[in-house]
Amino acid sequence: MSSEATATASYNYRLGTHRLGLWLFLASDLFLFGGLYVTRWYLLGGHRPELNQTLGLIVTSVLLVSSFFMNRAETSIAHGDRAGFLVSTAITLALGLAFLGGVVGVEWRTAPFGPGDGAQGSVFYMLTGMHAFHVFTGVLFLLIILRNGARGLYSAEKHWAVEACANYWHFVDVVWIFYYPALYLIGTVVK
Amino acid sequence: MDNKKSTALMQGVFVFIALAVLTAVEYLVGVSTDLVGVLFALLLIKAALVVYFFMHISRLFTSEEGGH
Repeated sequence: MSSEATATASYNYRLGTHRLGLWLFLASDLFLFGGLYVTRWYLLGGHRPELNQTLGLIVTSVLLVSSFFMNRAETSIAHGDRAGFLVSTAITLALGLAFLGGVVGVEWRTAPFGPGDGAQGSVFYMLTGMHAFHVFTGVLFLLIILRNGARGLYSAEKHWAVEACANYWHFVDVVWIFYYPALYLIGTVVK
Repeated sequence: MDNKKSTALMQGVFVFIALAVLTAVEYLVGVSTDLVGVLFALLLIKAALVVYFFMHISRLFTSEEGGH
């Protein structure tokens, strides 16, 4: 076997273990978010925090569009389109910052209750805070792959970091898919 | 643009449209009815779409790049 073939076989073997490791990490993170999700139902039951439902829809849409561009970025680099990858990653990053601005910058400031104002405050700020922290770390991850991508470190054959970043970003989106109706849509407003 | 890439990008567009429609339905159901079961069904469908098409869970036990 040539040295190039050996290197490819080695890379592919590591890719398999990396994938399994990432999914195990996401599964462990799911326990954290799952625990918070259960807490929401235990503390608020059939009620929901007093929040702006239109703003909730807007930030949800922003995250949804960001997932679309993340997928586009990964697809682009998987087919050797570095320019498409860089543009889509930059858009994803901007949308991630917009989501953070919408939740932490606007929703947190305009909510008619604080973190210490009973169960709805605890539930809302804990759930959105933990999720926003993950979005923030996802933004950092995006910055890293954007920088490395600009330096030409990824190719159609080798782009594991992009795949990992994309999966992490989509995972954060999946968590919000569960949190959005639980916080903004289901139940009557807490009196 | 090669065919494979074009197909992969179009799949992303279709999944995004499906997610956008489901989110709009979810919002309308949430603000105008008390159909909690419908909301849970919608969120499960949305999560499944993201996990299958965007996170490529079927690639979990493979060890080759591509397949996007």
